Amino acid sequence: MGRHVICRAGELQPGEVRIVEAEKRSIGIFNIRGAFYALRNTCPHKGAPLCRGIITGLVVSDEPLQMQMTRAGEIVRCPWHGWEFDITTGHSVYNPHRMRVKTYDVAVESKAEDDPSVETYPVQVEEDYIVLYI
Amino acid sequence: MEVIEASARHKRDREKLFIVDTDVHHGFKSWSDLNPYLPQVYAERLRDHGGSGPSSQYWHNGGMRGTRADFLDMSDNLESTRRQLLDDCEIDIAILTGSSASGACNMPDADFGSAICRAFNDYTLEHWIASDERFRVAITVNTQDPFGMAKEIDRIGSHPAVVAIIMPGGATKPYGNRVYDPIYEACERNQLAVMIHFSGEGVGINGPPTAAGWPSHYVEGRMMRAPVYMAHMASFIFEGTFEKFPGLRVINVEAGFAWMPWYLWRMDSDWKALRYQVPWVKKPPSEYVKEHVRLNTQPIDEPENERDLEQIIEWMHGDTILLFGSDFPHFDFDDPRKTLTRLPDNLRCRIFGESALETFPKLRPPE
Repeated sequence: MGRHVICRAGELQPGEVRIVEAEKRSIGIFNIRGAFYALRNTCPHKGAPLCRGIITGLVVSDEPLQMQMTRAGEIVRCPWHGWEFDITTGHSVYNPHRMRVKTYDVAVESKAEDDPSVETYPVQVEEDYIVLYI
Repeated sequence: MEVIEASARHKRDREKLFIVDTDVHHGFKSWSDLNPYLPQVYAERLRDHGGSGPSSQYWHNGGMRGTRADFLDMSDNLESTRRQLLDDCEIDIAILTGSSASGACNMPDADFGSAICRAFNDYTLEHWIASDERFRVAITVNTQDPFGMAKEIDRIGSHPAVVAIIMPGGATKPYGNRVYDPIYEACERNQLAVMIHFSGEGVGINGPPTAAGWPSHYVEGRMMRAPVYMAHMASFIFEGTFEKFPGLRVINVEAGFAWMPWYLWRMDSDWKALRYQVPWVKKPPSEYVKEHVRLNTQPIDEPENERDLEQIIEWMHGDTILLFGSDFPHFDFDDPRKTLTRLPDNLRCRIFGESALETFPKLRPPE
């Protein structure tokens, strides 16, 4: 398990995704209304770059021919075959219990000091960093 | 001698399949047979200007005008059906699916069409149903007139022999559309299944029979049956019709079945991709099919190796969704004694009778 400092928190705005390489994996880090989530950037269906899909919400229906958008910004729709995944859990929409994409922990931490990949010249300690744990 | 006969009879009884034939075509000898059941104004219209639009006017058919050339007596359809089908083929229950009046659905005058449907239904109850306790009927409805036909379903739907309605494959809108809701409400109220039978495509007020235009020959038309049912089934599922009418059962008659595995797989795949556009579809389409949709076996599909049918039937959940139909007396009739004979006995029991009893809410085995 590794700790990877990605960027300053302010560099990934709400609604945005940043795709990074870490430990030979491609991973997408999402900012949803100020909370950060990370998904493996590989769709379990056919290996597409999932995190480059459309970021959308969950369209739900209470009765036939009626629908509404909920949870705006919390769903990513795979760019290849349209499978939807919940960014906050990695669960697919069509079969949440059996089809999922790998998630990773993301933290916002005030210092980057524990990351050996960061060089050791002075760091501004008051600044928050997005840190990915694998 | 008597002992041998009794033994043979016993053996036959023991092996006798319980058979529900879900596709037996019945009709009348002449349009004037409907006169007693028509309002005077329409009886005179028939007399003066002829019958309703034919159901497939631009093609010839197979056999002798579509019928088996060995059919005993065209002038006595009813008695011939009882002898040649029910007795000879040992059919326990035969569901009459008509066809003579299905052209009502594509006539320009919807009210005339509805009058013909009502008359044909009354004629059927009086002449066919009353003649043999093995007959049941799918009453003919005019799909152009959903409110009128809801009244027709309420009028005769409680008759014990009425187990379904039948609608033609040809339509102005596919059958999951909300315009048909009154018909399905009435079917639920009366515990009737919905049967769809190939007919009327490209005829009368309906559009061309294929999106590729107008085929020249009857055999080409036969090749487009499955797509017609595919369109109706997709409509039922993706319009949410089965969510609106959880008791609805739809039986697709006379388009074969070997295409069904592909169709189920394709629908499930596409639902995963496009679910968000039809979020009222709550589960994979194949699940709706297993619960609500049935196919009949006619015309039987014939792979190069007949044994392959068992695999196809397994792929399509055929132990649940496949129902035998003979299509008597049409030329491509499937004799139950010669149909699906290689299947295991338990699967034959399902397809030839048990699944039909589970599908039609009002269907009961004879006492």
